[in-house]
Amino acid sequence: MSFILEARNLKKSFDGVVALSDANFTLNQGEICGLVGANGSGKTTFARIISGLMHPDSGQLYLYGSQISLKSHLEAERLEISMVHQNLSLIPEMTVWENINLGREFTTPLGILKKEAALNRAKEALQELQVNISFYDKVSQLAPSDKQLLEIVKALSRHPKILILDEPTASLGFRQVDILFEKLNQLKNNGVSVIFISHRIWEITKICDRLVAFRNGTTVGEVDFHQQPRDERLIIPLITGKKENEKSIHEKRSYRSFDTHQFVLEVDNLSKKEKLHNVTLKIREGEIVGLGGLNGQGQEEILLILSGYLKKTSGKIKMNNQEVFLKNSGQAIKRGIFLVPGDRQKEGLFLNHNVFTNLIYPQVALKKQKFLLPLKELHQAVTTTIQTISLIPPDPRKLVSHLSGGNQQKVVIGKWLSLSPKILLLNDPTKGVDVETRRNLYKIIADLSNQGVSVLLYASDNEELIANCDRVLIVFEGQIVEEICGEGICEENLIACSLRVQ
Amino acid sequence: MKNRLNWKSIYQNPSFPSFLILIAIIFLNAFLQHNFFTYRAFKSNLLTFTPLILTSIAQGLVILVGCVDLSLGATISLITVLMASLMGDSLLSMVIVVFIGSGLALLMSFINGFIISYFGPPPLLTTYATSVLWFGIALFFMPTPGGYIPSHFSKMYRSDLFPGFPVVLLFLIGAFCFLFFMSKTRFFKHIYAVGGNEEAAYANGVNVFLTKIKVFLLSGIFIALAAICVVAQTATGDARSGLSFSLNSVAASIIGGLSFSGGRGSIIGPIMGGLILGLLINVLYFANITSFYQEFMKGIIIIFSLAVGAIPKFLKARSL
Repeated sequence: MSFILEARNLKKSFDGVVALSDANFTLNQGEICGLVGANGSGKTTFARIISGLMHPDSGQLYLYGSQISLKSHLEAERLEISMVHQNLSLIPEMTVWENINLGREFTTPLGILKKEAALNRAKEALQELQVNISFYDKVSQLAPSDKQLLEIVKALSRHPKILILDEPTASLGFRQVDILFEKLNQLKNNGVSVIFISHRIWEITKICDRLVAFRNGTTVGEVDFHQQPRDERLIIPLITGKKENEKSIHEKRSYRSFDTHQFVLEVDNLSKKEKLHNVTLKIREGEIVGLGGLNGQGQEEILLILSGYLKKTSGKIKMNNQEVFLKNSGQAIKRGIFLVPGDRQKEGLFLNHNVFTNLIYPQVALKKQKFLLPLKELHQAVTTTIQTISLIPPDPRKLVSHLSGGNQQKVVIGKWLSLSPKILLLNDPTKGVDVETRRNLYKIIADLSNQGVSVLLYASDNEELIANCDRVLIVFEGQIVEEICGEGICEENLIACSLRVQ
Repeated sequence: MKNRLNWKSIYQNPSFPSFLILIAIIFLNAFLQHNFFTYRAFKSNLLTFTPLILTSIAQGLVILVGCVDLSLGATISLITVLMASLMGDSLLSMVIVVFIGSGLALLMSFINGFIISYFGPPPLLTTYATSVLWFGIALFFMPTPGGYIPSHFSKMYRSDLFPGFPVVLLFLIGAFCFLFFMSKTRFFKHIYAVGGNEEAAYANGVNVFLTKIKVFLLSGIFIALAAICVVAQTATGDARSGLSFSLNSVAASIIGGLSFSGGRGSIIGPIMGGLILGLLINVLYFANITSFYQEFMKGIIIIFSLAVGAIPKFLKARSL
């Protein structure tokens, strides 16, 4: 059987940083091929090369057996290769239908747009994935999951022969993922070949026919599910490069009772117009509480209100039995409530600064300092912090933008440590973070909770809630509808409660 | 499904505040200028405002694509110098010189666009550099205002096509029709796409390089029109005649609700912004404010207008 797409010895580096050193890849007609690897292993670079956004430094690409050289993205499109981008390729100020049609508008010979045809195309495309958004809405008004769906819709509406999905499920809820998978299987049966990039191993084992693993820019292995079992244990060692791993990805946090600990945070009848209705929750000292449920049910709003970013419409927030008023994020930070935001690159970090600057920034901004900064002490503090969060590489002078996604997230958490946090709010902290680093991150969080820090965690991924939480609150349409404790936290329970089936 | 008229979409429109300011300033103007609603005042106002409106459109287009053109004023100056040096009395020479001037405007805009999209330096500095360059060339050819513009050229510009319809209105209507036509093209969508997010536009198969160059060329057409108006009105070539347009047109665009980072706002905005600035000068004049304070007041009112223009964004951020 000949491959419809084959890549041999692809190399690519940016300013001396090697992203791909020896990437080999094959794709058969009508299959879904997974592409896995840790952050910074070169998956996205590879996808971008195939879709013509980047030019490899060396190596060959073969399409239907003949060598090609993709000079531009347009050329890839002509060859019916389409890509769903991870950093979304949507124009925020344009409407949904304009975005779907962008770059291939229907026009009259004079160049005048045909709006009716464009609207029809948008309508058909949206129906195909059962996306429920108005196509007159601006993209900037959409929820993250809707943006992601729109991105997928846009790629699908080009009717590609080869479809590349770069972490399409990172911000989707599981019901949306199911619809997507159904669609992908349907495409597969119609002879479309799909490259599926994801960090969620169970998604790979669920939908892919085969998978290829990258490590440090090199192809390190392949698993064919026709011959080999769909077992995570086969895949993890490929990604991490370590053999000893016999356990599941996440180890469940051992059960502890917190009944004797005192309440640190009490939220009473918290409401936000149209978003939250009478949310009441209590967190004890050292407890890790998860917020579960379908995507976009108000979990993020709860975190944002507690961190002072959003204003509540009504309700009371009490810390250590005293009512607190959080008018802005500065006040929340002063009380020891820290947010690890969902979009770390935008809201959590100064990408162009080095690790040192990022880590000392909260201190310098909030604590009273001498006119001249005590750089020596700060350096010592930063070194300790880097050890605590086991940053890789442990170099404070490294630019944050050069770190992998997981290590960036460690810096976001690390910068709060020096201010002795009391409550840590985590908004989907492992989005786009590889398995190894993910485990690392949760270890840091578990250590913090052992030191008495209370944690409120929102994760779009049920498995993380199961593994790390002492208690999970299920949020549904802006209300907390269920509380699951200890051993009761399991996949079936979470899904059942999220969907409100009894 | 079509024409869904809802209030929210109207008052959240980035051009909405400038619309309110425009109405307010028209009232103020009508109140201060006694003959505001007569044909004579209408025509003389039109003659004064047209160059600024045209340059504001040119600037607005460039701002929409995420750039800015500070050389537009110097371009106008250089064209006035060129036209005043070359123009003769015959109709043929006038037509030829007008075409040469327009061609020069297109060439200069193309140079800006090419440098910016090919080499990628910041547009602000690039066009600042070219503006110094154009100004230098203009000074070299005409150190002091002068040259010759035949009086019937100016007269033609100030005349009526037929009673009740001044020639200058033809310029504006022509510009509007052209703009209206362009706004229906896919090219116009690409302007917003490139201005909104350049990388994403590229990933969608939009030719970013060509789009930027085309936008600069398009703005060159409006700059050429504005330059012809300026020449006809002042009847001289002057290396300094256009300089104030560069920043005034930027102010007009932002007052009109465009986002300085590009990709946001309607092209109607700069037109309204240009009108607001023009009427503003009128108001200050008719309010008998001495010229000492005129500039001062103008500054204050521009700041005020900019602040009002930012209100929708401010409200949006607060309602978070």
